[in-house]
Amino acid sequence: MTYYLTNILVYAGVDIIACLALNLQFGVSGIVNFSFIVFQAAGAYTAAVLSLPPDSANGGFQNYVLGAQLPFPLPWIAGAVVGGLLSIPVGLVVLRRLRPDYQAIAMLVLSVIVNLVITNARPFLNGAAGLSLIPQPLSDQFNPYSAGYLWGYVGAAAVCALLVFLVAQRIVKSPYGRTLRAMREHELAVTALGKNPVVLKMTIFIVGGVMAGLSGAVLVQFITIWAPSTWLYPETLILFAAVIVGGRGNNIGALLGAVLVPVGFEEATRYLPQFGPPGLVPAFEWVAIGMLIIGFLWFRPKGVVPERPGRIPAASAPGGGRLAEDSGAR
Amino acid sequence: MPASTAGVADGGATSAPSTGTAAPPMMSVRDVHRHFEGMHAVDGVSVDVLPGHITGLIGPNGAGKSTLLAVLAGTLPASEGTIIFDGADITRWPAYRRARHGLVRTFQLPSEFAQLTVLENLLVAAPQHRGESLRGALLGRRYWAADERREVARARELLARFSMTAKESDDAGSLSGGQKRLIEIMRALMLRPRLLLLDEPMSGVHPSIISEIASYLETLRDEGLTILIVEHELHMVERLCNPVVVMAQGRVIGQGSMSELRRQREIVEAYLVG
Repeated sequence: MTYYLTNILVYAGVDIIACLALNLQFGVSGIVNFSFIVFQAAGAYTAAVLSLPPDSANGGFQNYVLGAQLPFPLPWIAGAVVGGLLSIPVGLVVLRRLRPDYQAIAMLVLSVIVNLVITNARPFLNGAAGLSLIPQPLSDQFNPYSAGYLWGYVGAAAVCALLVFLVAQRIVKSPYGRTLRAMREHELAVTALGKNPVVLKMTIFIVGGVMAGLSGAVLVQFITIWAPSTWLYPETLILFAAVIVGGRGNNIGALLGAVLVPVGFEEATRYLPQFGPPGLVPAFEWVAIGMLIIGFLWFRPKGVVPERPGRIPAASAPGGGRLAEDSGAR
Repeated sequence: MPASTAGVADGGATSAPSTGTAAPPMMSVRDVHRHFEGMHAVDGVSVDVLPGHITGLIGPNGAGKSTLLAVLAGTLPASEGTIIFDGADITRWPAYRRARHGLVRTFQLPSEFAQLTVLENLLVAAPQHRGESLRGALLGRRYWAADERREVARARELLARFSMTAKESDDAGSLSGGQKRLIEIMRALMLRPRLLLLDEPMSGVHPSIISEIASYLETLRDEGLTILIVEHELHMVERLCNPVVVMAQGRVIGQGSMSELRRQREIVEAYLVG
């Protein structure tokens, strides 16, 4: 029971980080990042190869680069950094000149291509078989199978989720977040008001990439395996469903969506009675995710917790007080 | 070779407005072209925009007025030609840089930020706000609170001036067409522009609001703001604009006051009647 509960909670923490990141990119800024899972995967692979020993150390049953065996928390930090660094070339290529609909297509194609490349370039990250036996943080000092360790991991994931939430709140509630929301509404008008949309998009894309990388790093050192089959492009759609269901543009909504969809919805469908040929029920899970997105876009497009426009109290104008108290979504 | 020039630019077919001032133009447009895969939307336009005036830009649908406005604002790059604004060659400048330099445009279709409040719409335009960068956002409210206080006060002054105070907390998307136009104008004014480019600000606006918008524009002109306006409401053009530039098929076919233009047969035939 402890294992099951801690497993769910760590997944919740990872999904909350991922949904907050996607909310900043898609919900707040309007960047339809269909390759989001690639940035999470980049963080996961980075944390894996930086915590694993050299590939020659385990009899050569898996091949990968680096194998630096770095101590915790360096693999997590590096995972976040690589997620951000990867965002720079991707953003420069995709976000500078393409229209938003073409950006979405390019992101989707990128997600498929990167997965295929990693699957087939075996010496790089062990190809389709993926990486296994990824060391858990501080596992040389603590028993990673003990309840205390598992709860400790939950705590570490929660701290990361909290930090990401606080950063996301600062962004959304600031004038910078207000400009991002304006860019989402009418990019050309924002440009005509002296704002550089490329800078706006690149900065929030990199911030989202850092958070995505961190979420991958936190996840991979808990589950200790990582392979291309775990980060196929439909995984991004689950996160989109979460943001849409929770309420795009609203950090609380993204948090709620992460709990409701990737965690709650997937856990609930796990207990469906098995029927029909093998694979039918998992396929129905995907159908249900699709129906969930369409249903919310049709009947409740603003999600469970809609974004609320910032209302600035009159009292705050000249005499001080908490300015922009309600600026941005909550 | 310019396909057409007008008024002050080449001393051509029509006379410049009798302003009695020798002030240099706020903007000089020289032989500007804009091609779309062989289609010449703007075909060698040369005009001057005089400071402190409302210059009208009129012409039939498809004349290239809005395209010219977009080229001047940098929303579309010019295919050829030169644009000098306030002494600087801005031809290759991106739109955001032109706006920061004081050249601000509005759009033909409403461009409000629908899910932001009216006040937020204005605050987005605030220039040089410390909270507008990622760094500023991460440093927190204390870092940018003073700027926010200043800009909120400015925005509320504008709202009061345009009689929109009661609407400041409404979602901009919920407003009427005329109110959305006012938001666009106020938003542009938040940038403290030196030249305001207005693309059909009376379009889709209730007739009772049109006169109100015209009064605001007259006040802004009297305060020294230079305005270039594309407009189809000819009685408003007559009331507000001098000079008026007439375009047809991507070219300038005349320039002067409305009464002068009415005396030119080719312009009357091309546009002013039927």
